[in-house]
Formats: sequence, C-alpha cells, structure tokens
Amino acid sequence: MASKNQGPAAPRALVVEDIKVDLVVLLRMLRKLNCEATVAHNGKEAVDLFLEGKTFDIVFFDKDMPVMTGPEAVTKIRGMGASGVKMVGVSADFGGLEAFMQAGADVFVPKPMKLETLDAMLQEVIGKKNMSG
Amino acid sequence: MDYSNLRRQAASMKKSLFDQGYLDEQFCQVEDLQDEASPNFAEEVITLFFKDSARLISNIEQALEKYPKDFNKWDAYMQQLKGSCSSIGASRMKSECMSFREFCGQGNVEGCMKSFQKVKREHGVLRQKLEAYFQLLRQAGPAGAATRPGM
Repeated sequence: MASKNQGPAAPRALVVEDIKVDLVVLLRMLRKLNCEATVAHNGKEAVDLFLEGKTFDIVFFDKDMPVMTGPEAVTKIRGMGASGVKMVGVSADFGGLEAFMQAGADVFVPKPMKLETLDAMLQEVIGKKNMSG
Repeated sequence: MDYSNLRRQAASMKKSLFDQGYLDEQFCQVEDLQDEASPNFAEEVITLFFKDSARLISNIEQALEKYPKDFNKWDAYMQQLKGSCSSIGASRMKSECMSFREFCGQGNVEGCMKSFQKVKREHGVLRQKLEAYFQLLRQAGPAGAATRPGM
C-alpha cells in the first residue's frame, strides 16, 4: 500500500499492525487527517521496509505481533540509525509503555487511540518538517 | 415510511446499548470516522470485528480443549480479542476478556472456562444487538442507499 502525499508538509506514516480491525480504524483516522499510510503486518515487514531504504516521518507500532513484536522492531530500526523518525508504540497492554520506551520509542499511546491524540502527533511531525525545510 | 421515526428508534437503541454497558465512547469515535466518502464505515468495521472475533473465539475454544493447558497461549488469543473489543467500544465484552486474562494469570482453569463462556455469551448478544441497530439505520437511511455487508 503506497503512501500518498497531500502536500509538501504531509507526513509519511507507517502503520505496523496485525489485527485487521485495529488497522482499519487507525488507517481511517489517518485518512481523515489527510495522511495516507503504508502498512506492515508485523515488525519484520516494517524492518524490511527500512532496509529497502523507505523513509517515514512517523511509525505506529502495535506491541504483540507474529514474527517480530513492535518493541523488537523499534530496537532494530533505531539500530539502523533511524533517529529522525517519530516512533509511537500503541497497545492495549499495560506493559506496553515500559517495553516500547526501553526499545527506543518516542511515545506510548494506549489503545484505542483518540483522533485528537493522533492529530496532535501529526501536527508536531508537520511542524518539524516545516522547520527543517 | 417514516424515516425520522426510524432514526429516533435507532438513536434510542444506541442509547440503550450505552446505558446497559454494551458499548462505550469508542463506538462513537468509530461512527465519527464516517463521512460522505465512507458512509458505512462503522458497519463495515463492526462486520469485520465479528468476523475476526468469531475466528479468535474458535481458536480459543480449540486451545482450551488441548492438553497440557497453555495459559500463555490462551492469554495471547484473548489479548487480541480484548484489543479488538477496545477498538470498537465493545465494553462488556472487553471486561469479560479481562476477567479471562486474570484467571489465566492465576492459572485457574475453571475460572478460565467459566469466563470464556461469558465472553461467548456477550459476543452473541452484542452481535444481535448491533445487527438490529445497523438494520434500523439502513432502513432509516435514504431509500435505495443501503447495502448489507454479511455479518
């Protein structure tokens, strides 16, 4: 699923989620905020995208996924030198906060994510993109 | 047909679902994601939820019958189901999922079995109620605009 830019400041999002319902809702929220997204169904698919040279401004990781978990993927992607991308851990599991922050995520958001929370994060990313030119 | 009356009935039905604790605010968030481009988004997501949740429940049922008892596997399945329940605002189902997970944490087989039956019961009841709600909404919509995804 390819990303679609809505303009020069539109953030490029990656959603890493294996549960269809959760994926569909988050993608719809992103679309409502004029942000199309690329999808990975587990942590390994996300890592492979970065290995292919794909770049994103913000990545949303579910915690527990087959093949590779969200925290594992965050650790690997940070290890590849991806320091500029905002990494968001998303989970209904209370243990998700510690797991994601220890792995190197920038922020943890409990599921289900509110539209206002998502909007605020995207606005922050847009602001940084505009400042960096 | 009195469409405004049907809409009032749908609104009353939805309020009842909230008052009885079947749904929480997240359901409204899902409905709020609808617009002209995606007018049936909520029903599509709910349909997807019931397809996925039926599969998960079947997986859990099979896992519960196996030996040795694998509380980690049971917990992992139920965590997925709980997550999906959260995403659509299925509050009572989510509570039962959490109870099941607590019993898993205690290694309480009997508790897990009883709790799982409650999860199944809540799943069936919610499915019936939401099916009726969306059927009413389709009837209340513009004539000829309704399509019915399989639930």
